[in-house]
Amino acid sequence: MMGGPIASLHPLSRADGSASYKCPSTGSNVLGSVNAPVELPGRRDALKPEDATIEVFVKPGTAPSGVGERYVEGILRGALSRIVLGREKGYPRRGVVITLAILGGESIGRGGSYLPLLPALLHTSILALLSASVPLSMSLSATMLAVNPSGEIVRKPSITDARAAASLHVLAFTSKGHLLLSESEGRFNFDTWDKVYENALAVCHGTSTLSSDGDVAMTENMDTQPLEGFVRDTVEDHIRAEYAWKVDAA
Amino acid sequence: MNKEAPLSVVERDFILDALRENVRLDGRSADQLRSLTVSFGEEYGHVKVQLGKTSLIVRISSEVAKPHDDRPFDGIFNISIELTAMGSPAWENGRQGDLEAYVANVLDRVIRHSNALDTESLCILKGVSCWTIRADVHITDYDGNLIDASCIGIMAGLQHFRRPDAVVKDGQVIVYGLDERVPVPLNITHKPLSVTFHTFDEGKVVILDAARKEEQASEADVIIGLNNAGDVCYLSKFSGSPVDALVFVTKTTVALEKVKEINSIIDKALQADLAKRAKGGLAEQARAENDRLIG
Repeated sequence: MMGGPIASLHPLSRADGSASYKCPSTGSNVLGSVNAPVELPGRRDALKPEDATIEVFVKPGTAPSGVGERYVEGILRGALSRIVLGREKGYPRRGVVITLAILGGESIGRGGSYLPLLPALLHTSILALLSASVPLSMSLSATMLAVNPSGEIVRKPSITDARAAASLHVLAFTSKGHLLLSESEGRFNFDTWDKVYENALAVCHGTSTLSSDGDVAMTENMDTQPLEGFVRDTVEDHIRAEYAWKVDAA
Repeated sequence: MNKEAPLSVVERDFILDALRENVRLDGRSADQLRSLTVSFGEEYGHVKVQLGKTSLIVRISSEVAKPHDDRPFDGIFNISIELTAMGSPAWENGRQGDLEAYVANVLDRVIRHSNALDTESLCILKGVSCWTIRADVHITDYDGNLIDASCIGIMAGLQHFRRPDAVVKDGQVIVYGLDERVPVPLNITHKPLSVTFHTFDEGKVVILDAARKEEQASEADVIIGLNNAGDVCYLSKFSGSPVDALVFVTKTTVALEKVKEINSIIDKALQADLAKRAKGGLAEQARAENDRLIG
């Protein structure tokens, strides 16, 4: 139906690293920037002097930021701090400042759910971190799945799908295939979550990493490209473009 | 923090010496604007402004709200600008700096207080409901002249934005979706823009649209806000060393020229975008007249 997500690396000039990301199903468009390592004012580093402090700031497109943003910032910070190697040289006691601005798509009303935006925010931040050359232990990919009232799992749900859904799930996987983040909303049982997990893993990593259940083999041809490959391709394309002078000369 | 890294003494001297010889860092003449592009996103009121290396995105949004008690006939218009670490590493997220307050104040005065947007036309039902128009400015890259760039973005956004149609039936307010009825453009009374000048060398050198380094090396700034008709709606000499009164007089003429130039760039971009949207748009479908066959 629709194409894959659209992303570009390093669209901004002032920030150390930046990325823009557009999700085709929800229509959300996020611009992210990373400044790292930076001096942090005050004594915010006192708690963990041997580690970098990760700061995430989410700026909604057409509304003042509020509790919803603070909440999603907490989720993002938790997930990203598992990945960023904050103990590398030059990083302890410094800050990794991630700023995410929601520039397009339907804005989330007061008290609305942030789950539909979460995969886009995660992808933007990982791409921006990569563009800023922040040391990372691994990369990540994330997806949202909706379970509609009749119990079917909807992949790549649109905003309308998400509103009608009985439950919403956002799952993020590391590049090694481990579950990194699981946020769910609504009513569901554990069997549903299991199915959601398998589907999400297939979306992010393709079916090759799945156990030879045979159950999910039919999903193989449905997706154009696993999301993990998308993150990798975006970075590869960017590097190829940056090093064109060298490649051409060789 | 919240301050850009200061210029080194050598760099400052270089900029000043060059300016004394009428040479600017990027080779422009004193009254020349950097290259300006205005483009629009998918939604109404989504504007991207690129002025040299300064770039920003403005989004206009509307909402139905209750009018202020003391002004039951007026709608509400707000400009919100928040400087984040995205625009410049020197800005801190979630903390308001001096620059932010200053820019917000000037934008308020130039656009809001000069009544560029007719707030009375935003009233739906007296004292009960009205439109709240909100302009959000996102600075994506900062390389000087934030005020003029934001001003261009907001004015272009207000002209581009379409709000949903609303009618009052038996005391009930009905708001039609963007796909139900042709959305309504905002009522713009005039198109004010700000033009910022910076002075150097005890006020002897005055330049327009300073880049970040030039701003840092300057002594003082002069902001003139005026519209196409030449009505001055804002004049400020906020801080720094004194500026000769004659500068205000002569530079107002220059500013008028620039405002006309910028407004024509905005108009051109708007026309191009509207022409693109007109194809197959709702306005086209809802039109009652037939295409006239010529010949």
